[in-house]
Amino acid sequence: MIKPEIVSQLQKITGKEGVLTAKEDLNAYSYDGTTTWTHMPDVVVLPTTTEQISRVLKLANENKVPVTTRGAGTNVSGGSIPIKGGIVLCTVKMNKILDINKTNLTATVEPGVVLQNFNTALAKEGLFYPPDPQSFLGCTMGGTVAENAGGPYCVKYGVTKQYLLGLEVVLANGYVMKVGGVTVKNRTGYELVMLFTGSEGTLAVITKITVRLLPMPAASKTMMAVFDDMIAGGQAVSNIIGSGVVPAKSAFVDNFVIRRIEQMTPMGLPLDANALMLLMDDGNPAAVETDTQQIVDILKKSGAKEVKIAKDADEAAAYWKMRSAGFAAVFGAAHTVLAEDVAVPRDKLAEFIKKLGEISERTGFFIQYLGHAGDGNLHPSIFTDIRKEDEFARAQAAMGEIFRAALSLGGVLSGEHGIGLEKQRFLKEAMDPVALDLMKKIKGILDPNNILNPGKIWEEEGA
Amino acid sequence: MVAKTKYDEIKKFEGDLEQCMKCGFCTFWCPVYQEEWVESSVARGKNMMIRGLLAGDLEYTKEFAARLNKCTLCMACTANCPAKANIPNIIVAARADTVKARGVKFPYNIVYRCVLPRRTLFGNIVRFASWFQGVFLPRTEGTIRHLAMFLSALGKGRNIPQIAPKFLRQIVPVVNRPPAGVETRMKVGYFTGCMTDFVFPELGEHIIDFLTRNGVEVVVPKEQGCCGAPAFLGAGDFDTGRKLADTNIKAFEDVDYIVSDCATCTSSLKDYAKYLADTPERKEAYARFGEKVYDISQFLVDVLKLPASAYRAAPEVKGKKVTWHDPCHLVRHLGIKDQPRQIIKSIPDVEYVEMPNADRCCGMAGTFSVYYYDLSKKIADKKVESIRSTGADIVVSSCPGCEIQLIDSTIRNKLPVKVMHIMELLQ
Repeated sequence: MIKPEIVSQLQKITGKEGVLTAKEDLNAYSYDGTTTWTHMPDVVVLPTTTEQISRVLKLANENKVPVTTRGAGTNVSGGSIPIKGGIVLCTVKMNKILDINKTNLTATVEPGVVLQNFNTALAKEGLFYPPDPQSFLGCTMGGTVAENAGGPYCVKYGVTKQYLLGLEVVLANGYVMKVGGVTVKNRTGYELVMLFTGSEGTLAVITKITVRLLPMPAASKTMMAVFDDMIAGGQAVSNIIGSGVVPAKSAFVDNFVIRRIEQMTPMGLPLDANALMLLMDDGNPAAVETDTQQIVDILKKSGAKEVKIAKDADEAAAYWKMRSAGFAAVFGAAHTVLAEDVAVPRDKLAEFIKKLGEISERTGFFIQYLGHAGDGNLHPSIFTDIRKEDEFARAQAAMGEIFRAALSLGGVLSGEHGIGLEKQRFLKEAMDPVALDLMKKIKGILDPNNILNPGKIWEEEGA
Repeated sequence: MVAKTKYDEIKKFEGDLEQCMKCGFCTFWCPVYQEEWVESSVARGKNMMIRGLLAGDLEYTKEFAARLNKCTLCMACTANCPAKANIPNIIVAARADTVKARGVKFPYNIVYRCVLPRRTLFGNIVRFASWFQGVFLPRTEGTIRHLAMFLSALGKGRNIPQIAPKFLRQIVPVVNRPPAGVETRMKVGYFTGCMTDFVFPELGEHIIDFLTRNGVEVVVPKEQGCCGAPAFLGAGDFDTGRKLADTNIKAFEDVDYIVSDCATCTSSLKDYAKYLADTPERKEAYARFGEKVYDISQFLVDVLKLPASAYRAAPEVKGKKVTWHDPCHLVRHLGIKDQPRQIIKSIPDVEYVEMPNADRCCGMAGTFSVYYYDLSKKIADKKVESIRSTGADIVVSSCPGCEIQLIDSTIRNKLPVKVMHIMELLQ
């Protein structure tokens, strides 16, 4: 338990309203979007300024109190769960958009800005920030940087790291450090902005974020294709990309998700479809027309039973809403859902899907999946119940097989969710041991007392 | 170990608890979270608190209740939830379980158990208290008058309308037939609700007049009481809720349709079956009753199917710009969205303009605004900005609760718009 004098010092820093200690409140900061993990913090701190964060960290560092930084807690890796107790440092009250520069095509925001609010503000200026984790209604900008989040748009536009120009971070000892800047080009020493990107709150607390922007594409078209099997769908994506057209967004759901969505929010999806693919093309209107035609042709040649082009923005939005509801569809389906986040090289997608079928048969677990397809990122899930020890152990072993199958095809352990708690037991297999050791050494330099989000990414020695 | 019987009502909605998979999308839609920015404000946090309660990790303490009840029951979370987890159901159920265990606190026990079910007594207390109103509460301008008692407890210095000198029940007869020359198409019961009865009787008279002129025989049973929303939804007093439900069902036995001008009443009358049915007989009776209940705009459009020509502007609204505020109980609890808009758009001489976020909660939410007045005001301020952006002269709604909130918040924010009930637009 945290010492009462630390709590009273925290209250001096943020004011009483910025410190929560009631059991009910602690309970409400004990989880994220995963189903497997919960842990109560000892105290929740809601700072409103960088200076407050600096003082909180200084205090925590001197007293060796763990600090788990949290935005909206929408991540799905266990990353923001205070597994060692201590302080949850929740940045949602630091939610100002500090600058949108239309001529430099940059914006600077505080970490608590909700991605959707950022996009709404940008849309008013005709601007566009592509990284689109499907938690965009809740997730904060700070969280998307800490998790290096991506989404359907990354097929064409890449993930968060491709847009970051500068950060202000607070180090474990309270020092406020600026890295990067506001220029698109910057060759000043090591790429330290990248060091903190995807660091899952283990290296510093992010307090200011400068990103580059794009002009909003003038036109877009969304297509929906129905396939008899996921393998054919996976192959279709490779065929499209191979033909020289890169869709802006792509997403892929299986029959399970189609049926669950129809059950939750009926929208007229084909219940008998084994695989449903969504694709979007964007750019200037003329190019979108020809690209769309080309994509439709390839989809049909690749075995699509049916291809629909959304007639307007509303219909397109409804299709994509289905995709963002996908995780809800999956996570609500069982007591415990183990959701993978593997990514394979795009041209290996069909092969990977075939392997998933084999694993399902061998282990006896139904493997459900949705994903992005065009970027090789897939989310296979296994439904289980953590309360049933034996079954849960077998489910975890099956997850291991899925991950190894991805690895054998040149894939990675996590495409966009991060490692957190959920995937740390696979990390050793997924990384060069020297690289893993280097990460630990970096952590040791920046956070010698191991106060920042301890217990995450890699398994602790002896664990 | 938690006794099995301790959370009976919550357990009825366990499915909703389990539906939530903590995606956090509700944070974006929750009017309370958007002001407070703490997790216990939002459906996901409340859901996890209740799970903690059932698991025995948390107790239903004062602190617990303070957090759980900080909810307007606006249903924005459920409406936008990918899994459609209905957390407001659980909040109401949790209130009921507490009442079962501990009873209702003074003075609310007197109010809910003794006053609400006795219509005339209720009216007289309200009137008695209103004599003192001007002494204790600030006077407001223009046509705004002061109201008392619980309605004044709602006040806490807010600008609220005054109690009417004569209640609707004292003005109108039980049976109101269409005027000579107008054919009687159907017979409906008019559920007046407390606000129209005690505060806005002229609205009630106007509605009866409009309906009768359009061929509807309107019955206003004297035996009807409060819909029960403050008791069973607000306070979790299901016993009183049942008493009121049974009274109302009896009062409206002889009609096929029941219309109400108050979104909260309409929704609550329909909610009897969901929350209050404790026996198979009640379940059946409550469900049958609920099916007969219609919101006034829904009744005009879907049942009476009035032609557009039936909607003519009242003289004082001619040439005005009008915007519509969706009461939560109408738009999300009952799914009524198009009918009121259709009516307003049908009125010639009135310009309709849609406000941004028309369906966002105004922050009134009955007893919520008593307990959390400052928060309620902040939520209302966002609504006022929406109204302001339209440049409308009149904001209409169909929930006297919302209307009180809109009157208060537009005056406080110095926005010169008139707040009206949708039926007041009509001649």
